[in-house]
Amino acid sequence: MLLPLEWLREFIDVPMEPEDVAYRLTMAGLEVEGTEDTIGGAVLNIKVTPNRGDCLSVIGIARELAAAYKLPLRIPERIGALDPGDAAQYASVTIEAPDLCPRYAARIIRNVRIGPSPQWMQRRLEAAGMRPINNVVDVTNYVMLETGQPLHAFDYDRLGGHCIVVRRAAPGERMRTLDGVDRALPEGSLVIADQRVPVAVAGVMGGAESEVNVRTRTVLLESAHFNPASIRRTARLLNLRTEASYRFERVVDPEGVAAAADRACELIAQVGAGEPVEGILDVYPGRKPSRFVEVRPDRASLLLGFPVRTDEVTDVLARLGFTVESPGGKDAVKVEVPSWRPDIVREVDVVEEVGRVLGYDRIPERLPRGATLQGGPSDLERFLHKVRTLLAGLGLQEIVSHSLLPEDALDVSWDAGDRVAIRNALSAELSGLRRSLLPGLVDALVRNARRGQGPLAFFETGRVFSRHGDEFRERVHVGGILCGPISPAGWQRSAPPAPGDFSTAKGLVEQLFNVLRLPPPKFVQACDARLHPGRSARIVAQSGTVGWVGELHPEVSPRLRSKERIVAFEVDAEALKELADERVEFRPLSPFPAVERDLAPRVRADVPFGAVEEAIRHNSPAILERYELIDVFAGPPLPEGVRSFTLSFTFRAPDRTLTDEDVAAALEQIRSALEQTCGAVFPT
Amino acid sequence: MVEVDELEERAKADVDMAASTAELAAVETRYLGSKGQLQALLRSIGTLPRDERPAFGARVNQAKERITQLIAERRQQLERAEVQRRLESERIDITLPGRPLPLGRLHPLTQTVRQVVDVLSGLGFQFVEGPELEDYAHNFQALNYPEDHPAFDEMMTFYVDDQRLLRTQTTALQGRVMQYQRPPFRIATTGRCFRYEAVDATHHHTFHQVDVFMVDEGISMADLKGTLRQFAGAMFGGDVRVRFRPDFFPFVEPGVDYAIFWKDRWLELGGAGMIHPNILEAYGIDSERWTGFAFGLGIERIHMIQHGVNDLRLYLENDLRFLSQF
Repeated sequence: MLLPLEWLREFIDVPMEPEDVAYRLTMAGLEVEGTEDTIGGAVLNIKVTPNRGDCLSVIGIARELAAAYKLPLRIPERIGALDPGDAAQYASVTIEAPDLCPRYAARIIRNVRIGPSPQWMQRRLEAAGMRPINNVVDVTNYVMLETGQPLHAFDYDRLGGHCIVVRRAAPGERMRTLDGVDRALPEGSLVIADQRVPVAVAGVMGGAESEVNVRTRTVLLESAHFNPASIRRTARLLNLRTEASYRFERVVDPEGVAAAADRACELIAQVGAGEPVEGILDVYPGRKPSRFVEVRPDRASLLLGFPVRTDEVTDVLARLGFTVESPGGKDAVKVEVPSWRPDIVREVDVVEEVGRVLGYDRIPERLPRGATLQGGPSDLERFLHKVRTLLAGLGLQEIVSHSLLPEDALDVSWDAGDRVAIRNALSAELSGLRRSLLPGLVDALVRNARRGQGPLAFFETGRVFSRHGDEFRERVHVGGILCGPISPAGWQRSAPPAPGDFSTAKGLVEQLFNVLRLPPPKFVQACDARLHPGRSARIVAQSGTVGWVGELHPEVSPRLRSKERIVAFEVDAEALKELADERVEFRPLSPFPAVERDLAPRVRADVPFGAVEEAIRHNSPAILERYELIDVFAGPPLPEGVRSFTLSFTFRAPDRTLTDEDVAAALEQIRSALEQTCGAVFPT
Repeated sequence: MVEVDELEERAKADVDMAASTAELAAVETRYLGSKGQLQALLRSIGTLPRDERPAFGARVNQAKERITQLIAERRQQLERAEVQRRLESERIDITLPGRPLPLGRLHPLTQTVRQVVDVLSGLGFQFVEGPELEDYAHNFQALNYPEDHPAFDEMMTFYVDDQRLLRTQTTALQGRVMQYQRPPFRIATTGRCFRYEAVDATHHHTFHQVDVFMVDEGISMADLKGTLRQFAGAMFGGDVRVRFRPDFFPFVEPGVDYAIFWKDRWLELGGAGMIHPNILEAYGIDSERWTGFAFGLGIERIHMIQHGVNDLRLYLENDLRFLSQF
């Protein structure tokens, strides 16, 4: 809200320095976001929080400053029209929807002479950010800025039957608003109607037909109170926000309705815009009883953390316009909440008033005492930290990318889930939640590749989303991507590091399982349109498929200058966490020596290494400690279609030194298993 | 005896003359070997008169010891010189760059979260996780947001359907915790939030927050201030001061905006306040006995302050020129 300082000084003698006033306001909870110097003096730009509708006016701000500065307020007591008087002969007011309109008041102004408003008024309006229009409209805006009560002036002669009916819009009703737009009125929204048709969207905008214009001779001036939520809904449905709706949404003082109408009449007479008719049509079916709240100074002290005396409580509250009912009570002070403070409902609300006016600088700093609790990261965070430090340790740079994505061929959920779309997306770019980490990884790769930056080795841990009918899934995944070597080439170009390939990506996945102490997963032929059909795999753990690894399919792979292939992987980190076992059982070290022997079975090229592993696993001699594949060979002198694997076996017994016979028998067991299950032959 | 003296003299000269360990080995064989000159001399002992024999033998042995010692000394000398020569020949340019080994780093947001978790864990806060795809009830209703309230203006929300939305604040976790947790408790969470905002250097539709709250007997705003001071001091270093300014958030009462005095200026960090009794009561917690505070702040904001980063957008762009700085 824009507030000219000189206008404020009409009601309270605050200092001339805008900085001083701005600081006090900010410290009272009305943040001054900026101060502008104009010809008419300083104008403060105040951010009013949504709970403080009462501060959307010069008088409201003055009231706050009266409490902050301990200064008296100059607000003229207005005892205006109390009964209908002559006005009753001009018009009638009927409220058919008292739940949405607790109060509606109208005054009549005759002999209206539309013209410009005086310079002083125009200056203040402009300083407060409003455009002067004519003397009658300017007065309504002026009073709104001064008191917070939005007003509306109707051309009395355009009101059919000279009556005001406050009711809900009927189905299909339309109206042209002041801005010239013909609008369908949302069914059930509150309208001001004459005998037949709506003449204003209540609390939002008036109708064009009944607008005050140069030919207007008589004005019906509206001052009313509307249900805030109803105004907010209507404004939202019409996509129409006005100074009036902004204030009504934030609650206007229902007790100030008549006073604002009277103030407007006073100004209209003063600027010579017309002659107010004696009397007011004030229909007030929704008068709320006064609200009383009890506040215990002890409770205030406990919550605020510094001692608060009873007299301080009563003093602060009195300055804020509360009426102290029973001052000096032993345990509690009972106060009547002013009608303009609907936000004050219970004791704690009053405590806040006391605290902020006494000043939060009085709050000391101390650390909580009481039960000492065990703090720490969440289980998931601890787990992910292990995953992250491993992948970073292996040379991958961590990235953090967007959850909101456009439709993307790379964004596929491997558990066949649908995309979770955003109903009110900002743009197609942000129209849904990611199902896979791959688009973000590719994006980081492309972004850096295009700038010639590397190494192109990244990983991310993040949430992915999918929809399975009515079920929504949110899972933490970990994914990685590689293009070229993980290490930079350096200056030894004659022996450059090897580029990442399927085997590198698979190695990363295997190390992940290894560090998490999970049994090695199976790598099974994948069927994923994003991946090279011959160089990709599903990762299968005990619980089922937990991810994928592979080279990107050339059809989805981004075009880069580099000729290197892109490989990537993605694993459901939560699935791994569920499988991971943090307990480690120590295995004693055998004091007996190990024996190493190599075997080099030759198999047909279509026998995968996995079959060899399988055969060994099922026929593993008790003394086999471990084995390792140390070479794969094909080509001359081997015949076409034959491969040779060189395997190095380590044998050891926990309780004795192995004999040559032990080792020979074990090797023979493996050899014959490979002959039988894989058709292996062994060179002699 | 003279022969022995001569032999010893010759041996000494030959040892001194040997220019390499190989030459020295030849000298050693020549004098000390089983077919060496000393051995030959010893064999001639039979030609001497019986009474001279012991003295001769002793003299030969003495010569053998002397020569052995000379050779050992010379060998050590030569070996040292040879190592010296080899090392000299192996000299390289130590100013050439080292081999660039693979080096991955954690994202700055991860590093910041880690620091936040460490500091708050030390203050007894247990971290928990909440969903990013939240429901209206937890993100708003449980946090004391009245329906159709202007407070929603500051919470532009991405909706999936009428109930589901992308959480606008990690505070959404409060209700989830209070559903099962009885006081006293100290809870914290970090995570990603979303708001329907246009992106610029200080606004983003996707950002990260840490949210902290505790409930115990006698908790006041002084505890909040002290905890914030401790937290901010640990995050930013130095002795910081904390300032409260009244602000409004539906889930706290009193509600404040807190700033810290750091490096000669006030930095506004986030919102805080005493947990609204309506929230405690909604979860069956006696708000008369138990009180609590809550505060939150942006992870990006912490990192920006710590390192002087001036553009929020950098955090999700994954440019190596940015990432490799931290």
